[in-house]
Amino acid sequence: MIIKVEKLSKKYGEFEAVKNISFEVERGEVFAILGPNGAGKTTTLEMIEALQPIGGGSITLDGHDVSKSPQAVRHVIGIQLQSSNFYTKMKLREQLEMFASFYHVKVDPNELLAKVDLEEKADAYPENLSGGQRQRFSIATALVHQPKVLFLDEPTTGLDPQARRHLWELIRKIKDSGVTVVLTTHYMEEAELLADRIAVMDEGKIIALDRPEILVQNLLDRGFSKEETVKQADLEDVFIDLTGKELRE
Amino acid sequence: MNYLKTIMVLGKNLLLRFFRDKTALFFTFLFPLIFLFVFGSIFSDSGGASFSVALINNSESEFAAQFVEDSHDNDVLNISDTIDLDEAKEQVGRGELDAIIRLPEDFGQPSGQSPLPRGELTLLYDQSDQQIGQTLSSVLNGVFDEINSELAPSDEPFTVATEQINTANLTQFDYLFSGLVGFSILSLAIFGLSNGLPSDKKTGVLRRLEATPLTAAQLVLATMLVYVVVGLLSVALMYIVGFTVFDATMVGSWVWLLLFILLSIILLLGFGLAIGGWAKNENQASPLANIVAFPMMFLSGVFFPRFLMPDWLQEVSAYIPLTPVVDGVRLIMTEAKTLVDLGPQLLLMGVWTVVIYAIAVRVFRWQ
Repeated sequence: MIIKVEKLSKKYGEFEAVKNISFEVERGEVFAILGPNGAGKTTTLEMIEALQPIGGGSITLDGHDVSKSPQAVRHVIGIQLQSSNFYTKMKLREQLEMFASFYHVKVDPNELLAKVDLEEKADAYPENLSGGQRQRFSIATALVHQPKVLFLDEPTTGLDPQARRHLWELIRKIKDSGVTVVLTTHYMEEAELLADRIAVMDEGKIIALDRPEILVQNLLDRGFSKEETVKQADLEDVFIDLTGKELRE
Repeated sequence: MNYLKTIMVLGKNLLLRFFRDKTALFFTFLFPLIFLFVFGSIFSDSGGASFSVALINNSESEFAAQFVEDSHDNDVLNISDTIDLDEAKEQVGRGELDAIIRLPEDFGQPSGQSPLPRGELTLLYDQSDQQIGQTLSSVLNGVFDEINSELAPSDEPFTVATEQINTANLTQFDYLFSGLVGFSILSLAIFGLSNGLPSDKKTGVLRRLEATPLTAAQLVLATMLVYVVVGLLSVALMYIVGFTVFDATMVGSWVWLLLFILLSIILLLGFGLAIGGWAKNENQASPLANIVAFPMMFLSGVFFPRFLMPDWLQEVSAYIPLTPVVDGVRLIMTEAKTLVDLGPQLLLMGVWTVVIYAIAVRVFRWQ
């Protein structure tokens, strides 16, 4: 277990964004938090990342108490924010060098950019990247210090199907290298494909937490069935079939 | 060690970024020069057909009174109403006056066996302004020649004596230049930074940095370094133009000046860092920047000298952080003062620096 969240809560005035939730994330797994907008996913994530003060309860990350030693936590986590923005007019290689200096490490920008398929963009400015490239670059900045946990907040929102698939590949590779990944998403397909375990949040509470196939099985066990049988292909399959899987950037 | 290295790497990359921003470059480097050209062309023109002189009349004679009256009608002389000799000398030193005419107590009184009035006026001018001295004395001699030829051609009862005073020979431009240097540092610090930091917050760039171990103090210091380099370059450019185009005067040490300007830049940047660091967006930043910058500009002797202010305002404005900066630059450039002489100024600047940076780091917000 690398993250332990206990009785976590957060209030904004009278509004309870997170209500007394507890869960654990295992070392090396991909843990997805699903939920509609306003469910409290981002708030939860930001408290774990030490970006927001913890309202109530406690969070332990890799042995560090997040509220007591946020700096230690920042050294072992990598973060991709929901809307990642980077300094304009600063080349990607310069940005990576800068991020590495925050963690007191040295990186080879080219090697890191190659990892996210952006090696030919080393001298580009972030404002000239496409949406998918930007997300991949954002992940590269989160990996400069070889973090133990990588947080991805809605990493594929707004990307076209090709870019989304490409990013899924990347996330799998990162998982295979032993990094624990915590992500939030709106896309069920994404959660099903990537996540080892899924927490479903709504109105500040975790209403289900398990392996995706078990969540589905539980539903079926309760007698649920779709009115139509699932087709062997859907429109997205058609789209990918027609346009191919190569990235368009 | 790592702490400092982070600041250096961040600062280096932010500096590179700064020099890629054409708009920022224009406003940073060209704007002060435009000001310099505008004010320089207005104030460097000290010559022309008339001279500004102070006329100090210590005599009560009728003749002296008549002379003063006639002088006011003289097209070549622009008579100032200063009465105090020391004050007039200071004004010559600052380039506000070209010379002083002093009428001694016995001027215009008869003396010796002759019943005719006689006297010798003294023309005081700056020793380095020989040309002004010669021109004025010949003008005055001309006036007296006329009077003498009427009164007693052989006797020449009225004469002109000259006296050179040793001021630093400053033109009005020199006086203004140190103010413009202070002004350009202030506007770079306050308007540049109060714009830059909030816009980085709005785009979420700083939020991303907050998620790393980077501290607010490191970001503040790295940003400061960037603007120290930019500020020094901008001031250097002003000096190049000031000396090549407008004949600015420098009697002090360039090393002291450089050190003093460096400390001044660091001090004034603190205000921009505090405002920009605190403000969440430009709407918060720009009114605050104006509230801080404009009183500083007008009260610290940038655009008009503090000695023209009422006494109470002079007392108060002495403690404004821009005042020791402008005074210090002026004292080094025009009176060859060293950093040791500038102890009071440096002390005041030191106190302000500590206070404003403590505030800047404390009020800093990442978003």
